[in-house]
Amino acid sequence: MPDLKLLYEAVVNGDAKASLAITQQALAEGVDPLILVNEHMVPAMDEVGRRFEANEFFVPELLIAARAMKASLEVIRPLLIARGDKPAGRVAIGTVKGDLHDIGKNLVASLLEGGGFEVIDLGVNVTPEKFIETVNLKQANIIAMSALLTTTMPAMKSTIEALKSAGVRDRVKVLIGGAPITQKYADEIGADGYSENAVGAVALAKKAVAT
Amino acid sequence: MNSRERVLAHLAGKPVDRLPLMPITMMFACQQIGARYRDYCTDYRVLVEAQIRVAETFGFDYVNTMSDPAREAADCGAPVEFFDHQPVALVEDRALLADKSTLARLKIPDPLGGGRMHNGIQAISLFKERVGSEKLVEGWIEGPIAEGADLRGINTLMTDFFDDPAFVKDLFAFVIELELRFAREQIRAGADLIGMGDAAASLVGPHFYEEFVWPYEKQLVDGIHAMGGRVRLHICGNTRRILKGMGSLGCAVVDLDSLAPLHEARQQAAPGQILLGNMNPVTVLRNGTPDLVTAAAAQCHREAGPRFIVGAGCEVPRDTPPENLRALCEYAHQHAP
Repeated sequence: MPDLKLLYEAVVNGDAKASLAITQQALAEGVDPLILVNEHMVPAMDEVGRRFEANEFFVPELLIAARAMKASLEVIRPLLIARGDKPAGRVAIGTVKGDLHDIGKNLVASLLEGGGFEVIDLGVNVTPEKFIETVNLKQANIIAMSALLTTTMPAMKSTIEALKSAGVRDRVKVLIGGAPITQKYADEIGADGYSENAVGAVALAKKAVAT
Repeated sequence: MNSRERVLAHLAGKPVDRLPLMPITMMFACQQIGARYRDYCTDYRVLVEAQIRVAETFGFDYVNTMSDPAREAADCGAPVEFFDHQPVALVEDRALLADKSTLARLKIPDPLGGGRMHNGIQAISLFKERVGSEKLVEGWIEGPIAEGADLRGINTLMTDFFDDPAFVKDLFAFVIELELRFAREQIRAGADLIGMGDAAASLVGPHFYEEFVWPYEKQLVDGIHAMGGRVRLHICGNTRRILKGMGSLGCAVVDLDSLAPLHEARQQAAPGQILLGNMNPVTVLRNGTPDLVTAAAAQCHREAGPRFIVGAGCEVPRDTPPENLRALCEYAHQHAP
């Protein structure tokens, strides 16, 4: 039985090889995969988020921690799906149409995944139709949109309107973020939530699925 | 004292009649002449027309050639996407240096070879011809981490710091040579000041900034000084943890984004360092009122002290109410340093 504290440390330190090796060994010895996620990896990503918020970690540290977590999740997720375990929520995330900036979106996606959500990353320059398709085909219950530019943020409004026209607005919570976004703008366009940072986005998503 | 004389005197520590005014405008300037932003990025005549219009309408003390971060990368062969009404953007999933071994074969493009860099240099020549004795002419280059991110892909570069630090240093060394060549031609064309944007520097912490970024920024700044040029450093984002380094590069102007407190920059920068900024361009300048803008400008001035130039934290957004921008400008027009 491996020391599972080492899994926590491997994720926090961004050591993907160690994270994967400990996960594989633990699974081979019969440890419940959900225990690995909930008791070790989620707390590890919480700690990464805390350090990021406290300016102890920066983007490189956060990205390698996320990479370590993903290495383990890749072997864990099929086991959870096979036995019918449900994620905390299913998030379709993307940078809106016309905008190719993705570093902030990627940080949010990683922390959401670390928070126990299934994340469907639609990438950049995502059309409203693509978001709608993901709600319909993959049953996403949260849509998370990012925009870096004041000139692309109107695409958030048009996406929300498209969700209404397609009749799926009531099936999803819409969360938005990005440098030019404010709570006032979120209220104006009828989004369900806004966070000014990546750590806050996880709390927001948890709140959104709880209501 | 005209605009150019005012800025140059202020940079030299000589008396000036009022605070210099140098806000960054790109899409806002383009909107003033009703042009497509695609044309602003690709046709230097459109950029020059728009910059002169906005500078004259609002009483700016300078004009600049900045339009998007992709001039150098595009000339190196990086895939970029053009939009009618937005800045040119790098296509990260097809980044030029996705395969690191490409760096060894990558040639530095000729800045006068008819590409996007050449277009920027032509803008400087036309600025000099039309307003060169009246307005300060500012060129633009990318800094080591910004250009490195454009060539390698920003997400990948962030993990390269851990995975392959030697590659990061090789990449930045290539970028320095590229940017020095670009800067040299801009200075030859008549640029009074070279703007250096190093946006991604705010994403790494002080450890990586000091080890990897600052030494190359310093090489670039020193190289431009050796050519007889001056540098305005602008780093988008939260630079609070790297202010000391930014303030010790020897730049003529350190231009701060809104997340870094000016009073902290004043404490940490070298004595006499000129600071520029830094009200929030969205929540204050675009979404606020003229009174709020005036109050924010006064607050910035108090925090920065007399070695100060008026501007916003980053680009003036395209749909900023003109009366708000006018309030920012009037602060400079009506106040001595």
